[in-house]
Amino acid sequence: MAEYFTSRGLPVPPELQRNPLTEWRRLLVVAAVLLVLYIGLQITNIDTGRANVQYVINRIALLFQWDFSIMSPRDEFETFRDTAWWKMIETIFLGIMATAFAVVVSIPLSFLGARNIMTGNPITAAIYAVVRVMFTIIRSIDVLIVVIVLLAIFGPGNAAGVFGLAFHNIGVMGKLYSEAIEGIDAGPLEAITATGANRLQVIWTAVLPQITNPFISFTIYRLDTNVRLAPILGLVGGGGIGLDLFQAINLSQYGAAGLIIFMIVVVVATMDFVSAQIRKRLV
Amino acid sequence: MKAAGNTGGLRSFPRLPRMPPLVSIKDLVKTYPSGTRALDGITLDVQRGEFVVLIGLSGSGKSTLLRCINRLVDPTSGTVAFDGIDVTAADRVAMRHVRRRIGMIFQQFNLVRRSSVFSNVLAGRLGYMSTWRTIASRPTSSDVAAAFENLGRVGIADRAFSRADALSGGQQQRVGIARALMQKPELMLADEPVASLDPATSHSVMKYLEEINKKDGITVVCSLHFLSLARRYGTRVIALKAGQVAFDGRPAAIDERRFKDIYGEDAEEVEIGPGAAPGPSAAEAAARALADDAETASARLGLPDR
Repeated sequence: MAEYFTSRGLPVPPELQRNPLTEWRRLLVVAAVLLVLYIGLQITNIDTGRANVQYVINRIALLFQWDFSIMSPRDEFETFRDTAWWKMIETIFLGIMATAFAVVVSIPLSFLGARNIMTGNPITAAIYAVVRVMFTIIRSIDVLIVVIVLLAIFGPGNAAGVFGLAFHNIGVMGKLYSEAIEGIDAGPLEAITATGANRLQVIWTAVLPQITNPFISFTIYRLDTNVRLAPILGLVGGGGIGLDLFQAINLSQYGAAGLIIFMIVVVVATMDFVSAQIRKRLV
Repeated sequence: MKAAGNTGGLRSFPRLPRMPPLVSIKDLVKTYPSGTRALDGITLDVQRGEFVVLIGLSGSGKSTLLRCINRLVDPTSGTVAFDGIDVTAADRVAMRHVRRRIGMIFQQFNLVRRSSVFSNVLAGRLGYMSTWRTIASRPTSSDVAAAFENLGRVGIADRAFSRADALSGGQQQRVGIARALMQKPELMLADEPVASLDPATSHSVMKYLEEINKKDGITVVCSLHFLSLARRYGTRVIALKAGQVAFDGRPAAIDERRFKDIYGEDAEEVEIGPGAAPGPSAAEAAARALADDAETASARLGLPDR
């Protein structure tokens, strides 16, 4: 390669002089990563001593010996509301309700958080900045942490779960919606403004037709995610089927736990498929 | 002594009150936040009934000047008066009342692409429509009638309920014209209305502008890239160069020297329209397309054949 340049008396370009396999900077990076991993192993002290192969296979097998007794009331004190299938339905609606609350709050806020709507006036520009920073802060607090905090207000149960999930989603959906509004074609806005329309008329005529499909698409995407998150909320006391799963594992009822996990997988996979299909048709 | 100010028996007639200019621009300057000085002291008047063509290189300030007239762009200093109303000092409501008397069409048509042609045209009435009528989508029947009349005028009434983005470029620009006509404007601003269109369609769109100028007496201020179009349709040409007026006069007065002055020494004039295409077959096709389009356009508009 290099002869092409040397034979013509040209300087050899640096990328031909270097051998990527022996370059010390790359080797340094690899060494640094290995060092971090080694230190990490020492600090975390991952102990797998208990899990011999026989034991692992045994436990996994237990998870597949599904205990169908949880699908019907187990004693005279339980009703259908205590069965696993009802808890699953409840969990799905936990996700739906959380999405609904989040949509109602985040749609109006998203207009305040869209740069192309809010610039042109120092006051609205300040509101824009505040709203976007608020979205970012809300988004950065994980759902489970919000639910744990809400336990102090609502106590364990569906309220903490729904509002915790909804709160986190205001941050996520607010950002998605705002970006959808920012992504619209500004031309029609200009044209409608030029006809002498007021600001609300401009939004109604030129902005809304451009954002309805992205909004529906994002909402379905978040609904999908929220139904997926809802079973986890129960692990920290947020209600739903997660609580039953947590209890089953703690009580070593592996058959029940396995069945609940299977139900969650079916629901999540179905949601995933349906939401992908709907969103594909919207584009 | 008494007759000192009198000139004999002849009574001096009072001067006829001249029509004030429709648009009067004085010392207009626009500096964008980036520091670009798009307009650098523009002073000019546009009289009623004129067809003013703005020419100049990209970035010479044509778009900014047009947008300062209906204040889609806020000028940095100077004044713009529309029919005696100081646009630069107008408050929100006064500005909306001025805007609805000024129609505007755009290079990219700026239709709401997902909405129907009909609702795009109807949007031209928004300045006259109450907000609740907009939200409830309850246009008055006279507005609906006007929408169909204007769509018929630009020859696309049959596409009224198609989605706007299903139409071809030329058709979309005609929707843009119909939308502007809904305002019953006294002034029509056109920002590069044919720059996204092919030569044949360009002439068809320009003919509609010519028609509303001549028949309806709507003053037109239109920016164009092609000098040949400017010569063909303009009654007056204003050339901008680096935000200043480089030429203002009759289209015929632009000779080779002035052309090079406006567009730079290396520029060469290109023709648009029949004969412009390089190969004979392509030229033929263009000419045929133009003839077809011009024919239908003239038939529809009752224009004399050229």
